[in-house]
Amino acid sequence: MASISIRNLVKRYGNFTVIRDLNLEIADHEFVVFVGPSGCGKSTLLRIIAGLEPITSGELYIGDDRVNGVPAARRDIAMVFQDYALYPHMRVYDNMSFALELRGVPKAEIDARVKRAAALLHIEPYLDRKPKELSGGQRQRVAMGRAIVRNPKAFLFDEPLSNLDAKLRGQVRAEIKALSQQLKTTMVFVTHDQVEAMTMADRIVVLQSGNVQQYDTPEAVYERPSNQFVAGFIGSPTMNFFPVELRGEGVALSHDGTAVALNGESKARLKNAGGKGVLGIRPEHFAIAPDAAEGMPVAIKLVEPLGSDTLIHFDLAGSTAIARVDPALRPRVGDRLALRPQPGKTHLFDADNGQVLS
Amino acid sequence: MAAVESVAMGDGADAAGEGRQRLELAALSAPAVLFTVGMIAFPLVYTVWLSFQSFSSTGKQSFVGLANYAKLISDNEFWHGLWVTLALYVLSLALQLVLGVWLALVLFHARRLSGVVRTLFISPFMMPPVVAGMMWLVILDPSLGAANYILTSFGLPPSDWLASPTWVIPTVALIDSWQWTPYVALIVLGGLQSLPPSVYEAAQIDGASAFKTFQRITLPLLLPTIVTATILRSVDLLRFFDIIYITTQGGPGNASNTLNIYGFRVGFEFFNIGYSSALMLTLTAIVFGAVLAFNRLRGAVAW
Repeated sequence: MASISIRNLVKRYGNFTVIRDLNLEIADHEFVVFVGPSGCGKSTLLRIIAGLEPITSGELYIGDDRVNGVPAARRDIAMVFQDYALYPHMRVYDNMSFALELRGVPKAEIDARVKRAAALLHIEPYLDRKPKELSGGQRQRVAMGRAIVRNPKAFLFDEPLSNLDAKLRGQVRAEIKALSQQLKTTMVFVTHDQVEAMTMADRIVVLQSGNVQQYDTPEAVYERPSNQFVAGFIGSPTMNFFPVELRGEGVALSHDGTAVALNGESKARLKNAGGKGVLGIRPEHFAIAPDAAEGMPVAIKLVEPLGSDTLIHFDLAGSTAIARVDPALRPRVGDRLALRPQPGKTHLFDADNGQVLS
Repeated sequence: MAAVESVAMGDGADAAGEGRQRLELAALSAPAVLFTVGMIAFPLVYTVWLSFQSFSSTGKQSFVGLANYAKLISDNEFWHGLWVTLALYVLSLALQLVLGVWLALVLFHARRLSGVVRTLFISPFMMPPVVAGMMWLVILDPSLGAANYILTSFGLPPSDWLASPTWVIPTVALIDSWQWTPYVALIVLGGLQSLPPSVYEAAQIDGASAFKTFQRITLPLLLPTIVTATILRSVDLLRFFDIIYITTQGGPGNASNTLNIYGFRVGFEFFNIGYSSALMLTLTAIVFGAVLAFNRLRGAVAW
């Protein structure tokens, strides 16, 4: 169990910089998820922590130890790989005991630890099987078991759920979260799936092009995104963005001048930014305006019933937007509605640099 | 086409269509069947038949049943040939597997090795055995060869190499290994390149040293490939002929008289075709047995 501290980290491959001057503090026992689109450097960062990739410059601490040049074997961390990386020629038991054997742990203790981990992950019936005789979900558990028996300072997970089907993914996700609460060990989890990030993390690191865009709790990242990238990346369906500007006393969509009902504080923020900005509204934060004159008139283009709620697609200010509405509304293609943002649930970003307006 | 027609023509035409289809299939496979019968089945059956015959010096032929096989048991030269064959087999195979795996590891890890060096490394087995044999005959010549020149220039005593009854088997094994180790290396290299890289990263994180990684991960994962190489080399090595025929012709004395050389001499120098056939069929059975055994082993080490 240990904290992880990354200071001024830079990673280059030749002339190509993957990570530039990154700083990150992961507290002891914390479950941190690195999330971002493909190529954002999240897996590279995890592999650097693991010791599988050298650091170009900067410092990396695990606990109190500076581990910059320390080989992976001596960092006392465990990793679960995307393809599980089980030893195909070894039985499940040997896969789990291998690391302990290498460390010279007595046989009786190895046996006890393997069996304890197997019980925890419900893989006792498979201990004598080889990986090829297991299903994807079972292999995933063995990979976690191999990490757990080590009792490491930190667990690293590299997109471990991406090879599972949707149902199993949800199940294993819940299991990993339960496990993290049980084991009370520092965990770093890499994913491109923002649902995984939101559901599992104590804190989320949103990465883009090797830069930390925001590092905060899932609630904060969702409710108070620090910039337009984070706002667009977290949340599904993604947040709708509309260029807006102050017109007289009110706010209007820049595209066609449609009036948007925003509160005084939002107007003040827009004013501070020179009267222009980008308005962000999550699909779930649209409301049907009681008075048609107060809302933005839209015509429904597509309806996606999800059961618990219904998504409607419509054109607004020159682009397609999505709103989440009550299925009881029974919307149909062609229906005309007047929508307005829920008060206090809007986001405003700088039109030039995408930073949140304050 | 025939199937489509038979559907269209209904039940009565079905049998006729099927018959025609069979005829077509028979016609199409006939060349392959004829080739197999002519080139494999017939020579094999004919050899079995020959092995039951005895040929006198006047060319008279008589059926002797299993007498040729019975003669094998009391033939010292046969047992000697079997011993030479197995000694050469074990020594060459061990050398080629150990050096082949080592060479494959070197080629695998040496990413900067140029294409030319790589090609040079693997070129010996492309050389015709006669050329390789002649080349080594010159190098190993006790009085004029480069091998003894090198030995003496280091202050070591010269060797008779192929002319020494003691050293002839190791020397032939060395020549064969020079030629065929790169072939084994190439097979093993293919195996190495197909191993999953993440498994090695997992081993790194688990704390395995380079030696432990080789011993506990690489070697077991390579075993099926190594067994495949063993099967391919076993078939060749148990029938060892060409290099010996070029370099020693079974000598000095009968020190390198493998079963294959012995059988050849019995058949084509002493014209005892019946006994030679029995010898060759026995050798075939040994090769076949070895291949079957290693095939089973391959199943056992598969992952």
